[in-house]
Amino acid sequence: MRFLLTKVGLLVLTLWAAITLNFLLPRLMPGSPADAAIAKLAQNGPVSNATRASIEAQLGVPTGSMFDQYLQYLGNVAQFDFGVSYTFFPQSVAGLVGAALPWTLVLVGLVTIVAFIAGTLLGVLAAWKRGTWLDTLPTVGGTFASAFPYFWTALLLLFFLGYVLGWFPTSGAYGRGATPEFTGAFLLDALYHSLLPATTILITSLGGWILGMRSTMINTLGDDYVTFAEANGLRPRTVAIRYAARNAILPNLTSFGLALGGVVGGSLLVERVFNYPGVGYLLYTAVVNQDFPLMQGLFLIITISVLMANFIVDILYGILDPRTRR
Amino acid sequence: MNEPLLSVRDLSVVYEPRGGDPVPAVTGATFELQQGDFVGLVGESGSGKSTLGFALTGLSKPPARVSAGSILFNGVDIAGLSLADLRVQRHGGFAMVLQSGMNALNPVRSIRNHFYDIFAAHGHVSRADREERAKVLVGKVELPSSVLDRFAGELSGGMRQRVSIALALSLEPKLMIFDEPTTALDVLVQHAVMNTIRELQAAEKFTAVLISHDLGMVLEVTERVMVMHEGLIVEDNTAAAILAAPQHPYTQMLLSHYGDPRAEVVEVPGLAVRGTARNVSSRVASREGRAAREAIVVSGVSKVYPPPRRGEKPVQAVSNVSFTLEPGASMALVGASGSGKSTIAKMITGVERPTSGTIRFGDLQVDTIKRRSLKRLHTEVQMVFQDPYAALNPLHTVEYILMRPILNFSQRRGQDARRRMLELLDTVGLTPVEQFAARLPHQLSGGQRQRVVIARALASDPQVIIADEPVSMLDVSLRAGLLALLDSLRETWGVSMLYITHDLLSARLVTDQIMVLNHGAVVEEGATASVLRNPQDDYTIRLLEAIPHPQTDR
Amino acid sequence: MTPSTPDPQGTHAVMVRRKQADVAPATSALRVVWRAVATIWSVPKARVGVALLGFFVLLAVFAPLIAPYDPSDNSFGRSEDFSAAHWMGTTAAGQDVLSQIIHGASTSVFVGFVAGLLSTIIAVTIGLTWGYLRNITGDVINFVVNLFLVIPALPLMIVIAAYLQNGGIGMIIFVVVITGWAWGARVLRSQTQSLRSRDFVTAAVFSGDGPARIVFREILPNMTSLIVGSFFGAATAAILAEAGLEFLGLGDSTTISWGTMLFWAQNSNALLTGQWILLFAPGLCISLLATSLSLINFGVDGLSNPRLREGANR
Repeated sequence: MRFLLTKVGLLVLTLWAAITLNFLLPRLMPGSPADAAIAKLAQNGPVSNATRASIEAQLGVPTGSMFDQYLQYLGNVAQFDFGVSYTFFPQSVAGLVGAALPWTLVLVGLVTIVAFIAGTLLGVLAAWKRGTWLDTLPTVGGTFASAFPYFWTALLLLFFLGYVLGWFPTSGAYGRGATPEFTGAFLLDALYHSLLPATTILITSLGGWILGMRSTMINTLGDDYVTFAEANGLRPRTVAIRYAARNAILPNLTSFGLALGGVVGGSLLVERVFNYPGVGYLLYTAVVNQDFPLMQGLFLIITISVLMANFIVDILYGILDPRTRR
Repeated sequence: MNEPLLSVRDLSVVYEPRGGDPVPAVTGATFELQQGDFVGLVGESGSGKSTLGFALTGLSKPPARVSAGSILFNGVDIAGLSLADLRVQRHGGFAMVLQSGMNALNPVRSIRNHFYDIFAAHGHVSRADREERAKVLVGKVELPSSVLDRFAGELSGGMRQRVSIALALSLEPKLMIFDEPTTALDVLVQHAVMNTIRELQAAEKFTAVLISHDLGMVLEVTERVMVMHEGLIVEDNTAAAILAAPQHPYTQMLLSHYGDPRAEVVEVPGLAVRGTARNVSSRVASREGRAAREAIVVSGVSKVYPPPRRGEKPVQAVSNVSFTLEPGASMALVGASGSGKSTIAKMITGVERPTSGTIRFGDLQVDTIKRRSLKRLHTEVQMVFQDPYAALNPLHTVEYILMRPILNFSQRRGQDARRRMLELLDTVGLTPVEQFAARLPHQLSGGQRQRVVIARALASDPQVIIADEPVSMLDVSLRAGLLALLDSLRETWGVSMLYITHDLLSARLVTDQIMVLNHGAVVEEGATASVLRNPQDDYTIRLLEAIPHPQTDR
Repeated sequence: MTPSTPDPQGTHAVMVRRKQADVAPATSALRVVWRAVATIWSVPKARVGVALLGFFVLLAVFAPLIAPYDPSDNSFGRSEDFSAAHWMGTTAAGQDVLSQIIHGASTSVFVGFVAGLLSTIIAVTIGLTWGYLRNITGDVINFVVNLFLVIPALPLMIVIAAYLQNGGIGMIIFVVVITGWAWGARVLRSQTQSLRSRDFVTAAVFSGDGPARIVFREILPNMTSLIVGSFFGAATAAILAEAGLEFLGLGDSTTISWGTMLFWAQNSNALLTGQWILLFAPGLCISLLATSLSLINFGVDGLSNPRLREGANR
């Protein structure tokens, strides 16, 4: 219970820090992004006072004390008011992010979990069968594949499987003309469209999980409790899984949490390559159009998502390790 | 004569490190064990005794490899078995209790599941009987059945080692190998666990091999002893015969290092015979240029550490300890681990501050000492560390290590300082000095490293040396030499010494006064010989009884 | 045990030559470096990495001599296929692809080296200080480092880079360093904490050494492998991040680098025209350079974790 409370407290503190960082970022930058943003927005039509105030709160205009701005900003964030996008004027940032987020959550979230589980299993196997091809192949392959930039793997798959062979769609999350709905046909179409981006993330992130698990597993295999388990004649499978792997996974969970940010970052580039309508693609659009409110809102949402995922990993760690329960 | 349970013929084990030459670890071991034997296997570190133990239980792993010979267990050659066949053999066959039993339990699996895993692997206990069986087994090692719900991290070292023994026992083995089963444990706990092993062996009638570095303990516990030295079994005889007339010079040497701290005259090789009373007054400082000679005065010192976890009680490490270490005196501070003796050392050297009480050294108020004055304190009060492998930076040469205190504490510079460094090496017996000065710690043996540590402590020409278990990490045969060195240095240099130890024999050999600590409080103090010969406090008596006494028992 | 001294005379001669009282700093520091290099080279994987890295560094340094053309010369035919004059063809803007690839090595190697070095310096400084702090300041640093670890780095870089608009290589190095130091700091801090509680550090206090000397002579040399490791790790991350940012068009798009090549390739629809070399070559170079650094890190791992060394089949 104390463990849980500590973790929740830390989560709240970290969330606050991330939100504050988001507030400070534009204000630390040279020039006034808010002025630029309002000027840009004015091209689309008259800017209402409310919109202006909102943008100023989001991006920082030297009116009012910093503290007042901060309070107003916190209030806005609490109401999920991230201002108005001017690329997609007059849509609200919150609405745009809300539409894009599910695509990314499902694609990146599911694939990352699958990659972690698969990588962990392969890492266990590599360490257990050390020195055989089951070890060498994933280790060497993993080292090489994890050095690929995400977007390059994406481009290669897109080019060869999409354009040259024509096996997969080259753009978007669903076929042209289809409307998102919960029907078998649509879901199948969406799955088909997600295969290439998913494969990209899988290929590029798998290696890291394999190598990490292999190295911690090799360490636990040398531990006394493994030797003692063997001396007691336990079944090899029990020794490998319940004794060695079960302990090796703990440090790996921590690095999983910390590596999540990197995977999410890489996936954003993958979305750009495939024009996949998730937050990554939206962020790219925002950057290209210098849509600062949208950019800030997206950064905050991405950060909060990663923080929440980390929190879940932490809780999972607590469940798996009896030592934290005391 | 019956068919032997275990018959080992010409067994050799080699270490084959990758990229290195094979090193023989065990050479031509040949012996037989009958059902119900209790045999000791004794040797110092690197003698190959553990390697032999691992080979006997089919646990040799690369780089170790059984290179020749056979191990017939019930007529089956273990050395030739496949891993799968070997695994099946373990039930009703051979079991092993590991040296570091502290870490032999899976930290994320409950003790109950440890038992269930073994039952499931061999199928010798039906599902319905498992709980009952596990309870009986932990009962045999004198643990309550509630430990089954616990995890390894919640148990003390002694309890964990008992659980390991119960787990090994659950295999219903005919042969049990105990590899240094009590080494990592506290003195009193060692004694209790060893008693349990003895009683179990007598009750369950399994054949037992006790691997240990401690010849005294093995002689006390077992009926027959095999002595290993550099991979060879050099002596194999009954305990009584070895005690009465050891044949091999190596056994004779090992045996000569045992003594009873309660005896009137105690003697080990290299250390002079001591009567009941040591003549303190005869030892006068012979150091030239020793200006002031100060005593360390500790009065009413307590140390309370904050609780290790939130919600727990603060830890009272030391409570109300007072003593005076006179110039040139030699005092022992003895007690089991956790008795607070190392905390006292840290407070005297200014590393930690007492919660209450005062410590004075000359005009220095050590209990409230400022960082700036620490250097002055360390000019006069130096420390010899326990672990010679941790106390020397692996990246520095002996010369660098010894030059630091010389340059920091004396006015000597250049060749003068260097000459002093070489003198120090000569003093601690590391000759030729130039060769040793150029070496790195990994090029030295444990005993040589500890000599460097002692030389470093002497470099500032201190008045007081705190020696924290200076020989406990070394092989028995090396201990007497180092103790003799410390003792003679103390006399010729006129240094006073606070000797911290759990080993009463060594305390008897090198100190005049003794203080016995239990849970941070002094329970007994006085002249070493008289305290040890006529202990008054129950705790002192128990400490003395925990020492193996092969001679007195037989 | 009587170990044989390898060369007492040789070492001794060095000692005598140095007349100053201060003993043996150069020898031990050199020895550490030499041992580190020898250890890295003794691991086959790392040896491949060193060779690969050496190739790219040579390419980077001698790019103007090796490259057949000026990489920004756009006077050639557009989107040409392979030919004797242009081994990899030309870009949509009419530049020689091979020359761009060769010059791109300079950018990547430069960014990797500088950003890796700066990140490592920050990581070492913070890691060491932090390892020595046990009070509330330590907790605050802990929180900040963890924040930087969990905040997804690439989005943060993208946002900062977007504000700094087309800042070029300097800007990219800046954002990479800002987001890249935390991991190293954390690793080095825990190592510092473990080292400072070792007996030999306490012994240095007893020998009268001051805090600075203890940090730089007792603790730091024992962390060489970790520091080298975190340098290569940070450099890898920097090279990948630089490519990612430029691919998004966040750098100066006139810089000749592998990232901008991919940016232009995507924007000029090299995918549709079938000029796969425009995608394939720069990406492969980035991957190989990053792989070479990861491979070298296998050798660095061998320094601190003997169990990770090759061999010892179960």
